[in-house]
Amino acid sequence: MNELDQAGLARLRDGWISGGGAFELAPAEWKEVAAASSPDEQERRLLAVAAQALDVALRPAAPKTLKRRPPLPVLALPMLPERLRPSLRAALKYAADARLKTRVATLVAGRGFVLHPMDWMPAATDQESPDIYAPWVDWQAGADSEKQSRREDLTAETWDDFYPAARRSALIDLRRSTPALARALIETKGAGEPAEVRLALIELMRFGLGADDVPFLKSLSADRSGKVREMAGRLLARLGERGNPAGGGSEDPTAELAAFIEEGKSGFIRRRATYAPIKPKSQAQQARRADLFATCYFGDLVARFGKTEADFIGAWQFGVDDGADLFLVRMISVSGGDAAVACLADLLAAAGGRLAILGLQLTARLDSGRKRVLIRQILNDAQNLAALTLVEGAEAGWLEWGDLAKGKTLPALRSAVSGDNDVTRRNAEQYLEAIGFLASPVAAEKLIGEVVAAGLPPASPSLSLLRLNAALSGNPTK
Amino acid sequence: MQLDLKTIEALAPDQASLGAAAKLTKRSNWPRLEAHEQLPLIWGECQGSGSNPYRVAFDTSDYGYKCTCPSRKFPCKHILALAWIGATAPASFARVDQTPDWVNDWLGRRRKPGQPPATAPARAEGKSIDEASRPEEAPPVEDAAAAERREAAQRKRAEDTRSAVSAALDELDQWIADQLRLGLAGFVDASSERCRRIAARLVDLKAAALAGRIDELPAKLMALRGEERPDAAIRELGKLVLLAKAWRAAPDDAELKRLVSTSETRDQILANPDAVQVESDWEVLGEKIETRRDGLVSHATWLLDLKSTTPRFAVLLDFFPASAGRRSGAFAPGDRFRARLVFYPSRNPLRALVADRLGDVAPGAWPAFVPDAAGDPLAAYAAFQDGAPWLSDCPVILPAGAIALDEKDGAWWQAAGDPHGIALPVAGSVNQTLLGLDLAATAALWNGARLELLASQSSIGRLDLS
Repeated sequence: MNELDQAGLARLRDGWISGGGAFELAPAEWKEVAAASSPDEQERRLLAVAAQALDVALRPAAPKTLKRRPPLPVLALPMLPERLRPSLRAALKYAADARLKTRVATLVAGRGFVLHPMDWMPAATDQESPDIYAPWVDWQAGADSEKQSRREDLTAETWDDFYPAARRSALIDLRRSTPALARALIETKGAGEPAEVRLALIELMRFGLGADDVPFLKSLSADRSGKVREMAGRLLARLGERGNPAGGGSEDPTAELAAFIEEGKSGFIRRRATYAPIKPKSQAQQARRADLFATCYFGDLVARFGKTEADFIGAWQFGVDDGADLFLVRMISVSGGDAAVACLADLLAAAGGRLAILGLQLTARLDSGRKRVLIRQILNDAQNLAALTLVEGAEAGWLEWGDLAKGKTLPALRSAVSGDNDVTRRNAEQYLEAIGFLASPVAAEKLIGEVVAAGLPPASPSLSLLRLNAALSGNPTK
Repeated sequence: MQLDLKTIEALAPDQASLGAAAKLTKRSNWPRLEAHEQLPLIWGECQGSGSNPYRVAFDTSDYGYKCTCPSRKFPCKHILALAWIGATAPASFARVDQTPDWVNDWLGRRRKPGQPPATAPARAEGKSIDEASRPEEAPPVEDAAAAERREAAQRKRAEDTRSAVSAALDELDQWIADQLRLGLAGFVDASSERCRRIAARLVDLKAAALAGRIDELPAKLMALRGEERPDAAIRELGKLVLLAKAWRAAPDDAELKRLVSTSETRDQILANPDAVQVESDWEVLGEKIETRRDGLVSHATWLLDLKSTTPRFAVLLDFFPASAGRRSGAFAPGDRFRARLVFYPSRNPLRALVADRLGDVAPGAWPAFVPDAAGDPLAAYAAFQDGAPWLSDCPVILPAGAIALDEKDGAWWQAAGDPHGIALPVAGSVNQTLLGLDLAATAALWNGARLELLASQSSIGRLDLS
């Protein structure tokens, strides 16, 4: 369409928008085509010509500033085969929230595949998805320049070439392999970062934490961010450094906490110390006790009683006050030494029942073996299977059929799916999802058979993760 | 399989349903009949009156059922027919060890098994499967005079309809002229009420299809930015003018009658020797499901011919009442199958029926279509408009490109290697992941103003975008 026609069309459009006859405003050639005996017919004919001009001769003008995103990075694992995507989508659809969807991605990554980005993408703030997705997390976070996270070693020189998620992943690897190098990087590069980023970097010191880190962590006591100082203090406490060695005054919170704990003796022949929580006298006292457990360090507390961490744990009277038990376990998870955490986890797993579930508070600090022991114990007891979804950092795809078959879980699931109680049945369906993440392909396959035989519809959506797991049997968990 | 005819008789809601089911028990009505090897399940696809086959599943243990047809009788004739075949000709079912996804979906949603009808024997009263099985009595032979009277009455009805439609188009013409006189600014603001009024008049005057189209006009306008609405109104009203003129010039033209008054039935299309038939491999590009103001849901399933050297499309179009609830389609995006399609006669044959479904086809990439010599991705649209300028949605295959955003976060498809040239606005919002992918080819509907994305081929395979 030439410029005259375009100008004519613009006049016609303006005329019709405001109303009234527009025939005289049309380009001469259009008037010839549209000429008719009645003015209404002329307008209609012009309208038809204008409609065609708009439809075919004019194209929407593209803005000059169309923004393209950088290409979605290619991940280091192959994409899940097309034939498995319907099973995957079913599992994702059944997963109720982002955390459960991330577990699906974790299971699949464990079997050597990544998900199709149109099926699932990690969020920009995601720190739970498998490391393999770090480039996508950075992409989601809006990496807006040409640079992409490079696949080279993280050094002071390449620091700025890494986007945050990829840098985090590389730093974790570095802390595990050469912690001193990672610490030097955090020390050098972290200083210039804002408090929020500094905190995230210091938090990574928990990987490969060792005595060599003490001087650096102590230097953070002068950091301008309270949160950074607090984090450094906790890490130091894990290394056995006293947070409040002076103490003793009326303002000493550790002393105040110790006053909530009663020291006693047990045993007739060989008397040994016991520690039990004193029942708070009011809501206010209860709240204060909770605060103190959350802010004091375990090392300081046991020092107050002149005990080692392991001795104190052994002497604690579990079951006297459930709330105090929970606070203590959390306290040890945050500031206890590695040996104390392992000792407590062993104790709780051996006790089983409610205490084993309490052990899940420790999972962020447990090695793979202890996590598995705890999970096996919970499955064996079948008291609170819902807790299985809370296991932090749980590994996917290791649970064998024997672990399920010998405990109470399998009979409990069979009974729930065959019963008439809708609530029990729904709960059982959630447990199936949780086990779908943990189970080996063989265990997943067998469990499907068991619950279907017990009455669960074979196509129940609650089986979707188990089915996906079983379908990935050609790729055992790596 | 533990089915017997007494059970089916008891299940049937009435004698008429049994009679209708009896007619559907012919094997030719069922392109697919399958039974699970272990589970008490049978399912099949029944070619009903819609353009898509209906998907029918039946649990032979508790008589639970599911059918995608819009019938309000439960169970419908398709369920009864499937069970009937199951009871009388179980060998017709192919034995398989896996249930299709749509059967899985249904099984997953079932909360409780149904009650066996044997517990309610009263339901069988007044229904007889024997009666339903009897061959229909041949209609009485019509004498010549009666035939003449019937044909004369038909001619009279056709003439009356034509006169009514002609009057409807006169009213439409006047209405369009009124809108221009009153101003399109006011029309855009009050389009809902004004369109409703003229649509009601058109229905009265037997121009039902045209009325439906005008009823949808306000929604189309509101989907656009304010500054784009007057142009869209000009386009749509102009197309109506053209359609009215075309109908007046050829009132017996099948395509124009379909667009203005009523559509042919499935049987009429299948019996029409002029209807184009294409047997090929087809891929389901995507679906477009819209709830219309007249209370109907239109369900369009777009197909791509995988054997054609130039892009050839088909659309399976079904309508059903919105009150019937959500209804799953016979196909899922990405499905591939071999089928013989019969197209409704048209200048640009698109709307089609599945005459025979001949099995599934393995997944893969689209054919490498030869691009337009001038490099214009909308060349097909221009040709489409040359043939039928009163139509809007035209399927196109766009060459390699990508999706980019403008300053208002509106999405545009942009041709690869031509960042300042061809770009087309995309309707609605897009999945953000799409912004990081290079699209080797994209199937979309272009309506002159916006692209509705259906599917793409990319380095990570096929992308469902509908």
